[in-house]
Amino acid sequence: MSRWLPRIYLMLVYALLYVPILVLIIYSFNDSRTGYRWGGWSLRWYQALFDNHAMVQAMWNSLWLALAAATVSTVIGGLTALALHRYQFRGKQALRGMLFVVMMSPEIVLAISLLAMFLVVGLQLGFVSLLLAHVTFCLPFVVITVMARLSGLDERLLEAARDLGAGEFTTVRTILVPVMMPALLAGWLLAFTLSLDDVVVSTFVSGPSYEILPLRIYSMVRVGLKPEVNALGSLLLVFSLAMLVLSQFILMRNKR
Amino acid sequence: MDERQPFRSAVLLLVWSWLLLLVLLPNLLVIAASFATRDPQDFLSLPVTLESYQRLINPLYLGVFTHSLYMAAMTTLLCLLIGYPFAWALSRVDKRWQTLLMILLIVPFWTNSLVRTYAIKLLLASNGLINNLLQSVGLIDAPITMLYTEGAVIAGLVYLLLPFMILPLYTVFEDLRDDLLQASHDLGAGRMATFVRVVIPLTLPGVIAGVLLVLLPAMGMFYVADVLGGAKNLLVGNVIKNQFLDARDWPFGAAASVLLTVAMAVLILAYGLSRRRIGQETVE
Amino acid sequence: MKKVALAAMLAVAMTGCSKQEEQVLNLYNWSEYMPQEVLEQFTEETGIKVIYTTYDSNEAMYARLKLLDESSQYDLAVPSTYYVNKMRNEGLLAAIDYSQLAGFDNIDPTLVNLEIDPGNQYSVPYLWGTTGLAVNAAAIDPAQVTSWADLWKEEYQGRIMMMNDVREVFHVGLRVLGYSANSTNPEEIEAAYNKLAELMPGVRTFNSDAPRMPYLEGETDIGMIWNGEAVMALEDMDSLTYIYPEEGAVVWLDSFVIPKNAKNIEAAHKFIDFMLRPQVAAMISTEIGYATPNLPARELLDPAVASDRTVYPTAEDMVNAEVQEDVGEALLVYEKFWEMLKAGS
Repeated sequence: MSRWLPRIYLMLVYALLYVPILVLIIYSFNDSRTGYRWGGWSLRWYQALFDNHAMVQAMWNSLWLALAAATVSTVIGGLTALALHRYQFRGKQALRGMLFVVMMSPEIVLAISLLAMFLVVGLQLGFVSLLLAHVTFCLPFVVITVMARLSGLDERLLEAARDLGAGEFTTVRTILVPVMMPALLAGWLLAFTLSLDDVVVSTFVSGPSYEILPLRIYSMVRVGLKPEVNALGSLLLVFSLAMLVLSQFILMRNKR
Repeated sequence: MDERQPFRSAVLLLVWSWLLLLVLLPNLLVIAASFATRDPQDFLSLPVTLESYQRLINPLYLGVFTHSLYMAAMTTLLCLLIGYPFAWALSRVDKRWQTLLMILLIVPFWTNSLVRTYAIKLLLASNGLINNLLQSVGLIDAPITMLYTEGAVIAGLVYLLLPFMILPLYTVFEDLRDDLLQASHDLGAGRMATFVRVVIPLTLPGVIAGVLLVLLPAMGMFYVADVLGGAKNLLVGNVIKNQFLDARDWPFGAAASVLLTVAMAVLILAYGLSRRRIGQETVE
Repeated sequence: MKKVALAAMLAVAMTGCSKQEEQVLNLYNWSEYMPQEVLEQFTEETGIKVIYTTYDSNEAMYARLKLLDESSQYDLAVPSTYYVNKMRNEGLLAAIDYSQLAGFDNIDPTLVNLEIDPGNQYSVPYLWGTTGLAVNAAAIDPAQVTSWADLWKEEYQGRIMMMNDVREVFHVGLRVLGYSANSTNPEEIEAAYNKLAELMPGVRTFNSDAPRMPYLEGETDIGMIWNGEAVMALEDMDSLTYIYPEEGAVVWLDSFVIPKNAKNIEAAHKFIDFMLRPQVAAMISTEIGYATPNLPARELLDPAVASDRTVYPTAEDMVNAEVQEDVGEALLVYEKFWEMLKAGS
């Protein structure tokens, strides 16, 4: 009894988490136009999705944005983690505090503050404003991931490097970067996902010149009655799963 | 020592300028805007005033805010009630299975959250799956009204935010060693006493971290209220968004956002205090 | 080496968005307000790519245009009647260059040179329509429902759907009390507010994104709807009935306008010109169920569409109907009461 009860409970919660997703996948093959009636199996919504040029364009835009945002935030976040781990400097606590605040801030607060900033400096809302915003909210997550990895680092390695006459840059490049690599990868993936899924911040800082997927989905979902949304959701799920398997694979290989 | 200077300075300069330009300065702008006067033509005009803050406490908006807070609090409570036993059970599962179960927990959160909100709508509508199922089984005669209610918004928020409650809880339960519970038992404490005096205090940081990760987004995720609440059950996020993107009342939107930030600060402070009291070193 | 690869990736990402050499027209329009085929045909003919973004209220459209004023990324927008006037008075619009338009004479003479824009200096009519009553005939007998006042009946409470639009909702309140829907008298507006406040507990949802959806979802059985949405709903729900209320429907006219800093004014004119073609206008009216102001286009319509009272009302349907007009400063009064209405609901 006491062994089974927790397991049943776990299964129940997992079922709750997965039922909506299952519904989504099944309905993506529904031939009927309304989401409220079953009309037989069909692939027409996948077809409709790929025929929708604006949608495909938004998909690419989102992908580029997520790639760029994840990459920039990984570079800056990695360097920040390095600085926090390795250097003593004035304002270190303030820096940590600020990253913590960014991580905890409700997205909407971040969104309007960035919108105000972009308006004041006269930056045109589009790719650049989106990139700056996305990097900002991804940054703390990358820093945390990398810091966790660095805290397990054997300091004697670095001493040995210094004894052998390695300069700072060489030390970072030959020892620290390889050590940080799995964490950088994990951080990159996290940032990529966060960027790809963001609705709140993007609603405020995007312009018509660069339309991204979540906003496109938002306008479709608000209107309702868009079975393409189900097809798209299913595809995104498959894509995420593929990414997950890929990342696990890379991490495993790195461990060896 | 000297040769690390240029690299170190470059890194620090980059990070600091990013945070100053894109975090500190923008937030100062919002605070400044909250004290400005509304201007229907431009966004702001000059006379500095507390009017926006006064409007926040006028009964009309106070009602909206308390309703939003209530929905967010209910969301958090439900996440905690579901997540706490879940995290415990998960941490006691065979180690081999834990990684897989953790991944399963994270996968849904990798599917676009809007799409998942839409799926919830398909389930809850009067012509939706749940009602159809119940009707065809004969449990109910007429559809139960679920969509466009407060409950629908809360259900959507719980569904989207549950993993954020479970993850920190899982971490603390993993650190909770069985021999501690054994010791408590050996010292004569009953199950209830052990739970109240050992388990709860030791998992409190996880609880607070989870609350922090759920409560704040639950006030801001305007799209959930938009899709499931029928424009009747507003979150603070909806109010802020409307002020900025529809009504063009920036000072009021900014004031609401400052309020939200203050709420965050209070919660973070509580979190810091709870960690300190338990005597763990503060990592972050 | 890896850093170089990252940098290269970033560079590609950056250029990925700026290589748009082709001409682009940024069209800002209501959700579901133009068939996809029409846009594709336009692109095919002119080579101009149309980026179609949507809004769900005049307020959102106006706020966004103001926000992007300097960088002005929109070339064309479609405000409703009274917003044309407002935007015109505030100097937000660029004048239409009629030498670039061929088909303006196609427009119904009764719909041009209106008070909102004398001489149509800044606007070209796109579609017009009405907001009336929708009834789900499967749940409520449509014969029982003849007026806006019927919404207050006890048996419909909890099944009502209202537009998410200040002027349209106040139209109902004002007309039920016998006032003009374009009232600028604060006392009348307040009276309408009090009347509407009684209705609020019975309102299930507000929706201006796709007002037919709550009926399709089975959440509401009676309430407001745009006539075109009622037509579109028939595809999935044949029991939805459109009724012209006795106190008068809301009549609105949506027009193309060019924001004053628009980048591609030439493409905007080409697009308007394309829209003025009778075949195109007829196709749009048939597809999305609103009335076209284009007279030659009406000749081309399928008789079933042309005689559909929902789309093209008879003179009798329009007896008490009132065209939305700009209410000037009073809009702030409306907005104040609207916020109170929704916050209290």
